[in-house]
Amino acid sequence: MYELKSVHKRYGLAKVALRKIDLTVRDREFLVIYGPAGAGKSTLLNILAGITKPTSGDVLRNGVSILRVPPEKRDAAMAFENYALYSHLSVGENLAFPLKARGIGRAEVEERVKRISGILGIGHLLDRRPGFLSGGQRQRVALGRAIIRPADIYLLDEPVGHLDAKLRHKIRAELKALAEDLSATVVFTTTSSREALALGDRVAVLNAGKLEQLGKPADLYHRPANAFVASFVGDPPMSFISVQPRRHDGRVDFVTADGMPVASLAAEAVSDLNEEVGSKIQVGFRSNEVRIAQESDSNALRGRVDVIENLGYMKIALVGIGNDQVSVSVPAGTSLGVGETVAIAFPRDAVHLFQNARAVTHATPSAGV
Amino acid sequence: MASIKAERLVKRYGAVQAVHGIDFEIADGEFVAILGPSGCGKSSTMRMIAGLETVTEGSIYFDGKRVNDVRARDRNVAMSFESYALYTTISIYENIAFPLRSANVDSKEIDRQVRDIAEKMELTALLHLKPKGLSSGQAQRVGLARALVRKPEVFLLDEPISHLDTRQRYRMRRFIKSLHQKFNYTMIYVTHDQEEALALADRVMVMSDGEIQQMAVPDEVYARPKNAFVAGFVGEPPINFFDCRVAAADGGWSIEFEGRKLALPQRLHAAAQDIGDGGLAAIRPHFLSIGGDSPLRVDGKVFITEELQDQNLIFVDVGETRFTLVAHPSVTPKRGEAVPVSIDPDHLLLFPRSQAGKVESIVA
Repeated sequence: MYELKSVHKRYGLAKVALRKIDLTVRDREFLVIYGPAGAGKSTLLNILAGITKPTSGDVLRNGVSILRVPPEKRDAAMAFENYALYSHLSVGENLAFPLKARGIGRAEVEERVKRISGILGIGHLLDRRPGFLSGGQRQRVALGRAIIRPADIYLLDEPVGHLDAKLRHKIRAELKALAEDLSATVVFTTTSSREALALGDRVAVLNAGKLEQLGKPADLYHRPANAFVASFVGDPPMSFISVQPRRHDGRVDFVTADGMPVASLAAEAVSDLNEEVGSKIQVGFRSNEVRIAQESDSNALRGRVDVIENLGYMKIALVGIGNDQVSVSVPAGTSLGVGETVAIAFPRDAVHLFQNARAVTHATPSAGV
Repeated sequence: MASIKAERLVKRYGAVQAVHGIDFEIADGEFVAILGPSGCGKSSTMRMIAGLETVTEGSIYFDGKRVNDVRARDRNVAMSFESYALYTTISIYENIAFPLRSANVDSKEIDRQVRDIAEKMELTALLHLKPKGLSSGQAQRVGLARALVRKPEVFLLDEPISHLDTRQRYRMRRFIKSLHQKFNYTMIYVTHDQEEALALADRVMVMSDGEIQQMAVPDEVYARPKNAFVAGFVGEPPINFFDCRVAAADGGWSIEFEGRKLALPQRLHAAAQDIGDGGLAAIRPHFLSIGGDSPLRVDGKVFITEELQDQNLIFVDVGETRFTLVAHPSVTPKRGEAVPVSIDPDHLLLFPRSQAGKVESIVA
């Protein structure tokens, strides 16, 4: 088990890379660090590896501080985003290096190089030098060199970020299976929502050096702590409509600036909502929680189709409602034109509600929407 | 605005032929994505349209006028990479005005045009600032505004949104799409990302090995790919391929896979006849199911399940073939579990086995 205790990292005077991070990496878990570029993901990995020293705070392994333990004594296997391969060694020698350095016998080295290079689809490249490889091939060698040996912790910095979509799909599954087989402790960074949800036992959402939320994929997806996590986890991102609350008969209705009803919840479900003037209240929807309704549906909101994105298996219509835009998943065969007015049905009792970007409630989706 | 036509367009670099004599037409105001892996010839094609590369053989026409010998700067083509070089010492207003000042447009007209485009690009509040301190998204919009203020006839974008996170990707994509809707430029978008191509373009031109594999609307490219390359390159999660035996049966045709036999629907009879014995079948992950009652049902073993929350991706091994299927989030089979997999015959695609090499080249 690894623990970051109030880890703060500043570069120079002004640039804060990590802000007082408290984070536990459990034994044998696959922990994904998910955030936009510049969030501090690589810094966090480098601190776990011992390559970077935190400005303040502590890093513990099984309860003991390892701040003074140099990287080579930490038993962390790392795949760097910029590969850092040995250019004078062949692919096979690069892969074998961490094993030979640990005095593992030749037969076993050969066996493991064969297995890992097979999994990563680089078996035919073993004799080549890194200089003669494509970026995607180099990245697979870097990943292979990290996962080829047993290690206390695997630190993988966007290890599939430069692979094309088909390969990423394939290797993602292999990596998940391998981590399970080895009962490995893995920390993996990414900027892809899909990768974070697919791989993580838990996901830490990092933004501008701050830990926004740490939880299981289902927590982040269904119960995001704030509007940032809500809009960052899920593909397509969650959309929001600005609303005002209206209380009556033990319920709170949420209506748009034009007075159109968007959602209605029991008052006790939104007891955390305070009605201070000037606070920003938003209802959030995932694209598959709303649908195009019949024109006759009296509960539906009218909007204008601004953009249609075809994804092959379905389309996403971006519908403008007042000053907001809502993503709506529609079946592939639907004929829908830009500029068309459509009715949008909302799951009135199944919404994500945010006040000043903080989550107030996540009502459970009901059937029939 | 302009229509574009290419005739038997060839690009050779020394002995290497990058583009193998391709023909295409792009209508005035159309949004076309050129999609393919690295080295497929897409960038060479775009650079010939821009005038940044000479045409080795064949012709390019803008509005019916041959432009092979027209210099890049006289073609009135805007390119997205112009966005990366803003002048840091002058305001954003002056950055956008720059191409108009160079063209000696009078200052009243410049003011009108700069303010007009700034409003469309949501830059009005930033006009008095200098570029320093802009976010990368804002800087990109300023660059685009500067490219667009010239009123180009053709707008070329070369992978402008790679390496963005999921949220930024959607934002940029929707912004580019709305640009096209607002200005109606003839737009050509070069990318290796099939999702961007399908989501953005009126038509997609799929390229591989310097040739056009298919050029059609997104639905067509997705549902009726012309060959195994297009089938494999388009679609996320990727399509599943499996080797099968094609045989005549009962006046129709059937395929055999893993000891099971499936009578092919009528629409595949002609393809089956052409293919003969060795077939390469393909089915999208959305048209496979665990259980189900398809006439083509095979025995599989679960490799891994990815729970994406809105759906589950289940990897299932059937013999030597690993399938991906998309399932409802409630379907969560265990690793190693034996499961029956149904293949929906209505969405089955069939190609000759000889195209298997094209599939391999996708992930080379």
